[in-house]
Amino acid sequence: MSLESQFFLLMKFVIPVYLLAFIIYAVRAFKGPTIADIILAVDCLSFDVAAFMAILAVYFKSVYLVSGAMILALWGYLLDIYIAKHLVSKEVGA
Amino acid sequence: MSILFYIGALLIVIGALCDFFGALGLLRFPNFYVRLHAATVGIIGGAAVPLFGVALLALGADFLPHRYAIAGASFITGIIVLLASPAGSHALAYAAHRAKLVEWEPKVDHLGEVRKSD
Repeated sequence: MSLESQFFLLMKFVIPVYLLAFIIYAVRAFKGPTIADIILAVDCLSFDVAAFMAILAVYFKSVYLVSGAMILALWGYLLDIYIAKHLVSKEVGA
Repeated sequence: MSILFYIGALLIVIGALCDFFGALGLLRFPNFYVRLHAATVGIIGGAAVPLFGVALLALGADFLPHRYAIAGASFITGIIVLLASPAGSHALAYAAHRAKLVEWEPKVDHLGEVRKSD
């Protein structure tokens, strides 16, 4: 059994677990009672989509997907910082 | 070289399980400050660990074109997640406490005591 077919056999078990976790995060993001819950769920979702894109880059043998993952991780951090700044001082500022 | 492939596959499986349990905790825990704990399991265990796993797996995989580019970029993304996620969660928790968004029953509130004594 070659390494490639072993990898595709592994992906048959890993990809459904990730999709289930995305659905559960999305449920919390839609029904979260406060703003902080929604932002925390979207934050988890963006970091996990970044990790999932790195896995898909190996799955589809494409190098371009990983650069998108890096940008997505940085965007999740920016979302946290801007919302926290707005909640503390009621303005985004510089 | 295939030992790197198997270590990476093991890290990806650990990451998928941590991601699932973190998502379940984020759905089931009672308030925001307890949900932060589950979010840490979901981010560090569910995003940083499989990114390092993808880096090792791509180094060991012979069938992959551009494998050094994929390995390096996912290693850098893992370090970014490892540095950015605790800072963001800490800022969000401080802002939620400061804006009094969450209703809770504190046993000990050190931040409130410090602000009252100032």
